[in-house]
Amino acid sequence: MTDLERRNPERRGEGEQDDLTDPAALIEAYYERGWTDGLPVVPPTEKSVRATLDAAGLRGDEVLGEIAGRNTVVTADKVAINVVLSGARPEYMPVVIAAVESLCHPDFSYHGPASSTGGSAMVTVVHGPIAARLGINAGNNAFGQGTRANATIGRAVRLVMMNVMQTRPGLLDRATLGNPGKYAFCFAENAAESPWPPMHVERGFSPEQSAVTVYASNSLYQVYNQLAATPEPLLLCFADALANLGVPNVKGFNQSLLVFAGEHTEVLARSGWSKDDVRRFLVERARRTVADFKRATRLPGDVRSGDERTWRHVFEDPADILVVCAGGRAGSWSACLPGWGKKWTRAVTTPVKEKMA
Amino acid sequence: MKLFDPTAPPVPREVRLAPRPAHLRGLRIGLVENTKFNAAPLLTKLGDLLRDRHGMTVALMTTKRSPSHEIDEAQIAALRKQADFVVSGIGD
Repeated sequence: MTDLERRNPERRGEGEQDDLTDPAALIEAYYERGWTDGLPVVPPTEKSVRATLDAAGLRGDEVLGEIAGRNTVVTADKVAINVVLSGARPEYMPVVIAAVESLCHPDFSYHGPASSTGGSAMVTVVHGPIAARLGINAGNNAFGQGTRANATIGRAVRLVMMNVMQTRPGLLDRATLGNPGKYAFCFAENAAESPWPPMHVERGFSPEQSAVTVYASNSLYQVYNQLAATPEPLLLCFADALANLGVPNVKGFNQSLLVFAGEHTEVLARSGWSKDDVRRFLVERARRTVADFKRATRLPGDVRSGDERTWRHVFEDPADILVVCAGGRAGSWSACLPGWGKKWTRAVTTPVKEKMA
Repeated sequence: MKLFDPTAPPVPREVRLAPRPAHLRGLRIGLVENTKFNAAPLLTKLGDLLRDRHGMTVALMTTKRSPSHEIDEAQIAALRKQADFVVSGIGD
């Protein structure tokens, strides 16, 4: 029994609480039970939970996924409650479900990225027509504040992780620092302004099929270059960011997400570079010498002859570089989001099952 | 007002521990290495110590896909067949 439960034995679980007629007290009751992410929640009602389930055409007892190694079973009713808590609208539910299904996919291998000291954000990228329909921001400030769909879908994913998947700080979330994206990190792919096929189409879905990719990201680096007029110098900045000495994985089996925005997208489009051209360049140029890694003790041993000319490439395979467009038109900023290494976890794209009319 | 519990406890699954061996001498060891940086050296050293001190034999060392993944069925089958005693280590 926790201290809280000892202090408030009548407030251990759910149920009718006659003393909770004040909305502020109700919000505090969710805090007291440890059911929030640190921000106030929107207290659910029978009506709002029902509406959320209905928006996805689900019964409450339907199983949406399982994570065997953690004995986790995710049911629709618990996801719906967390969606309401997050402040999401009912119609966001199918997107959250697709994200949850991605988290439960064996390729995502939830336990490592969810629990490790690295403290990754589960980046939720929304593709296809549902993004515009729900108003998920793909443009200006796509990673930032101000859009309900982005903020609450990302938050709902994290609340499900905390409340249903036992991913609580200090318990099965052992992040040393964590990162702010652990509160919420959801954006839409900016297909309208992208010169390239959308990511979900590359991954086998039709353009009309909405889908969600979930990707475990250690961090977010914004990459700046205002003078580059051609792809090569611009992409050298990405190569450098991806191959910094603090990168978690120096063994060459990384997966990273690159988000091109604004003027950088124009530079690449104007030059006719495809996503594969970008990938080929970065596979070759995102590298450090063995000597660099040894001097920084990222590899063991003394620097030996030949180490200065022996390269370690960050990526083995061009397919390990995930590329999307998002962000506003103005500005010389893009981003790279280094991941966890494809052997440990992989980005998983799941179709959004919208309720049939 | 009603509170809605957003949590779901882990669903218990039955885990049966293998019978403990009565002695170590002469047993075959299986080592499960998880790919962390020092896992293989640590387990190799441990295998050496068990061999020297208890007359055990290192029958196999098997490597998981990653630290995040559970050991797969084929590896479990190999351990069942070749080992009497299994040590799994992390070696971070």
